Amino acid sequence: MLSRYVFRHETILALLLVLALALSANLSDRFFTVDNLLNQGRMLTEVGIIAIAMTFVIITGGIDLSVGSILGLSAITLGVVWKTLGVPLPLAMVVAVLAGAVCGAVNGVIIIKSRMPPMIATLGTLALYRGLAEGISQARSVRGYPEWFFVLGQGEFFGVPTQLWVFGLLVVVAAIILGYMTFGRVTYAVGANETAARFSGMNVDRAKLLIYTASGSMAALAAVIFVSRVSTTRSDMGMGIEMDAISAVVLGGTSIFGGRGTMIGTLLGILLIQTMKNGLTLAGVKGDGTIIVIGSILILTILISNLVNRKRD
Amino acid sequence: MTCLLELSNISKSFASVRVLTGVNFDVRPGEVHALMGENGAGKSTMIKIVAGVLTPSGGEMRVNGEAVQFSSPKEANARGIATVYQEMLLFPDLTVAENIFLGHAPRGSVGHIDWRSMRAKARVLLDSLDSPDLDVDAVVGTLSVANRQRVEIAKALSQDARIVIMDEPTAALAETDAKRLLDIVRRLRDRGVGIIYVSHRMAEIFAIADRITVLRDGVMIGTRNRDEVDQPTLVSMMVGRDIAQLYPKAEVTLGDVLLETRDLCCNERVRNVSLSVRAGEIVGIAGLIGAGRTELALTMFGITPATAGEIRIGGEAVTIRSPREARDLGIAYIPEDRGRQGLVKAQTIRENIIHPILDRISRYFLVSLRKERSLAVQSIKQLSIRTWGADQIAGQLSGGNQQKVVVAKWLGTKPRILIMDEPTRGIDVGAKAEIYTLMGELARDGIAIIMISSELPEVLGMSDRIMVMNEGKLVAEIPRAEATLESVGAAMTHSARHQEIER
Repeated sequence: MLSRYVFRHETILALLLVLALALSANLSDRFFTVDNLLNQGRMLTEVGIIAIAMTFVIITGGIDLSVGSILGLSAITLGVVWKTLGVPLPLAMVVAVLAGAVCGAVNGVIIIKSRMPPMIATLGTLALYRGLAEGISQARSVRGYPEWFFVLGQGEFFGVPTQLWVFGLLVVVAAIILGYMTFGRVTYAVGANETAARFSGMNVDRAKLLIYTASGSMAALAAVIFVSRVSTTRSDMGMGIEMDAISAVVLGGTSIFGGRGTMIGTLLGILLIQTMKNGLTLAGVKGDGTIIVIGSILILTILISNLVNRKRD
Repeated sequence: MTCLLELSNISKSFASVRVLTGVNFDVRPGEVHALMGENGAGKSTMIKIVAGVLTPSGGEMRVNGEAVQFSSPKEANARGIATVYQEMLLFPDLTVAENIFLGHAPRGSVGHIDWRSMRAKARVLLDSLDSPDLDVDAVVGTLSVANRQRVEIAKALSQDARIVIMDEPTAALAETDAKRLLDIVRRLRDRGVGIIYVSHRMAEIFAIADRITVLRDGVMIGTRNRDEVDQPTLVSMMVGRDIAQLYPKAEVTLGDVLLETRDLCCNERVRNVSLSVRAGEIVGIAGLIGAGRTELALTMFGITPATAGEIRIGGEAVTIRSPREARDLGIAYIPEDRGRQGLVKAQTIRENIIHPILDRISRYFLVSLRKERSLAVQSIKQLSIRTWGADQIAGQLSGGNQQKVVVAKWLGTKPRILIMDEPTRGIDVGAKAEIYTLMGELARDGIAIIMISSELPEVLGMSDRIMVMNEGKLVAEIPRAEATLESVGAAMTHSARHQEIER
């Protein structure tokens, strides 16, 4: 009975995380400072929020490659709607998130109606949404946001960065949905056997539509936080962020074939990646070296987890 | 006479589970030795040991009197043992000749493949199998199942097999192809090859086997000469009890009409079907594969909604556009493809059982884990699902127990109308009997049952009325009293109208 917990993917990840934290603290005395850790929290939020929705997407056996482009398009929407169209900023923020939701819904409709593999559909919209973002921005960045807006990306509550509160809340809500609610059960069933889910009376198409819409919305929310954090809007924002999010989810033990995965795994995946990035940087490793290490850890972790779990079966 | 193959006291355990205990088995030259038993009796394990896929945990195996220990199928091959598997292991993009000689192609002087000789040898082999019509240059992927099987057999012979294992070779074949296969088996036997033949089909066993060995729960029950046994004896050896009453058809007073269709259509696949089922009634739907029986069920269940016509439930016209709507009207459908449509095999029994009723056992969208568990435990008990618990992965259960999980999950919706599509396909005799008993009980409780089945004895044994379908239409309706193998069979194949359907 105990071995069922000891050999869980999440347990392996947690151990790795502790190891990474210990090593990082050892390599640099600047790592284990409150300032640094909280700052890392700021850095991981955008990828983290996207990874939350991505976990649902991947559990259904799908993938969403377009989240980085949605982030860029939503950021531009925010800037243009506020600055060029003169809409009040709070309303512009809502419009930006809605734009992301629409982008996600479009993904969902394409995937459901055309039965196109999600990888192809979102590869297409990855180019499409980025193109739109660049077309709208005309290579101009938007600046000059009011001071209150930076609370979201640069401020803090009770000593913790604002966006970390948002991230934490979303993780908890998503974990409850996935683990304890009917929608979570549908998500797993769709990923493990879509036909059987349909034959069980589940509304598979609605579930997929909701999940891709949520994925787009989360990317847009990440965009608003991103803009607030860096005080500026550019059309190339979020480029490649989909790979970071997918890496975190897969590292977290979610099966790319669908049907398996947990929110706690994704959270651990995000924390592990961010710890390694930060630890290596502080230790003086250059950017390219960091990527090599993270890639290797990703492959090794999945490999070890598979080996351990195959032995048990 | 020395035996080609001799197993003595062979045992096999996986982890702590014993699947074979002290099995003795032998094969003589020029005989067909049939191996029978329910699913899970240990037949596959035994075959895999002989084929070198598994190594036994204990006991001794001799080939031509010599003790052997195989650590791979290749070593078994080298000793002249070949296997024709249920799931064909051919390369679909290669030709017949290439498949037959894959790995041991005839070589020319400089080590290149001698294509001419390879094709000629393949030709000779196929001719010897009475298959002169099979082209050695045909791409295997384009062949019928029956022809692919001949290629597999030719492949086995090309390796000079003295012992050929055939695992349910006729399971996927139509009748004429099955007959031809039996002829091929006889030819092999006459050439002195020893054949281990696994099959569920009684008629076939009696037509071809010289000896029959029965396994049950991993133990050898006995080996008999064909002349010494009859069918009931074999069945009771397999099941371990008398199943005089395999079809416990209970007398039930029929209630009101629960489900009625009028000129129901779904594209070209279901055409103007009008039928009715009453409370407590079991209506069997017979027909050939592709006759539109499953399509009819899918239309009534809302997977492929009707394109014309009417469905009435309890006298009221309804529209059914999704399985959820069907469920809410009291219709449950147990699909024909258990692994693909019926179950999420990777999930636990517990999770599977609540799939159709997620909304009903949750509050504020939160699944009641307590209700989930109690429902699962109750279902396991009620249907005697053999498992170590509600948390066991459904895919680990035997076919019969998986089917019980599917039944349980749909009974959980409290249906009034139950459509069962091939309810006993691929499950063993014991589980079949349990499903039949359950059907009888459900009918007594006033549930209307529609049973689609390709097994005529089952249709005849369980149904109050039999509907026969052909090309999407109902072509005959035969009451229980008049139903015989001949009358139903004739209606299925010749669309002979036994009785005009009332309009």
